[in-house]
Amino acid sequence: MSTLLEKHIVELLRESNDKAISLLYEHYGDTLYGVAFKVVRNEELAQDVVQESFIKIWNKSHTYDASKAKLFTWLFRITRNTAIDKLRSIGNKSDREIQMDVSDVYNLGVEGIQPELMDMRKQLDKIEPKYQIVLEALFFEGMTQQEASEELDIPLGTIKSRLKIGLRELKKIYGAASVVLFYLSQGL
Amino acid sequence: MKEKISNFLESDLLEKYLIGETSLEETHQVERYIAMYPEIREAYRELEDNLETFARLYARKAPEGLKNRITLSIRNQQAGRKRFIRYAVAASIAMLFFAASSVFFWNQNQHLQQENAMVTDQIRVLEADMKEQLEDVRNQFIVLNNPGTRKYMVNGNKKAQDLKAIAYVNPIKKLSYINVRNLPQLPEDQCYQMWAEVNGSMVNLGILKNIEDKDKLMALPYGEKAVGYITIEPKGGNHAPSVQNIVANIKY
Repeated sequence: MSTLLEKHIVELLRESNDKAISLLYEHYGDTLYGVAFKVVRNEELAQDVVQESFIKIWNKSHTYDASKAKLFTWLFRITRNTAIDKLRSIGNKSDREIQMDVSDVYNLGVEGIQPELMDMRKQLDKIEPKYQIVLEALFFEGMTQQEASEELDIPLGTIKSRLKIGLRELKKIYGAASVVLFYLSQGL
Repeated sequence: MKEKISNFLESDLLEKYLIGETSLEETHQVERYIAMYPEIREAYRELEDNLETFARLYARKAPEGLKNRITLSIRNQQAGRKRFIRYAVAASIAMLFFAASSVFFWNQNQHLQQENAMVTDQIRVLEADMKEQLEDVRNQFIVLNNPGTRKYMVNGNKKAQDLKAIAYVNPIKKLSYINVRNLPQLPEDQCYQMWAEVNGSMVNLGILKNIEDKDKLMALPYGEKAVGYITIEPKGGNHAPSVQNIVANIKY
């Protein structure tokens, strides 16, 4: 389901109105920066990735099909691919490392956290690391459950159940966020 | 059907598709399944929501200047594009103009070259003509001015009593000229032709046209004891003189 805001941004993109970039940045900038950072693990590189991704988003806006994906899904794909390409192009990491760097999960985001993002971090902490790993393998690393099972050396059945629980936990957060959003919109 | 759907959901293809990791073929397959089966569609929508929620958990405050950098680079790109289009249009117009003017100048050059060739030819012909005429005039002058030149009055016989001509012969310079002053009118289908018998052979000197310039001298081939004849021949001239039609002869 696309929100009104999404529809508005998509319309502006279609009209090649650069207000779209401003709105996109305001609503998705930090998240996409986080996604880029998650892949490249370097602030400067992550900034470059976000910049390049936004230029791609702007140039490829005519290829976005709202019937096939939510706006965020599309933005995520572009940013993640740009980040992976960036890593490959500078060649400072092997493909294997790009695919999976589990150790990072445990100390993620401890440094340099902005107060306004603290809530998100807290939310993330609500999900146990063992579920986070499986969710990351799925959403960031692009692994199949079988691949995750092999990579993490966890039986496939366990992966499946952890994913299930992880998604359930995520839904809790999502549900809470929706409630907050609901109250916020009522308050406005 | 149920089995097909659960197999598909088990395959992780949907998850790979979600983050853009599927091949083109897989993408088409997934999109077909999403369009066909509401359960899969629902699962996909749920995954999309999960992805957004999960990704938002990793949000990081982007540095202050990044937004400006992005908007600036997009504006620059747009300006560059506009500038490029303007340059492209200007360049196209200039190209067209140069192409048109090249064709025009090429045509003009061809035309001038042709004209030049024609003028050169004309000049060559005129020069040759002039030399010939000058030579002729010089010879005429030599003949007329030379004390050794003999002058013969030529009168027509009975067939052309009004025929009057004067022949000039210079045995020293070996030049002979004839000046036909009067030719009686002939029927349309006949003409006067001039001949010279030189050293035993008959030379055709051409047809005498109606006399336009009474003072014109016509060169005769020179020979010892040569005889000139004027005959009446069928229109267009003859290969050999018709002896019975001799209207005048000039011995010189």
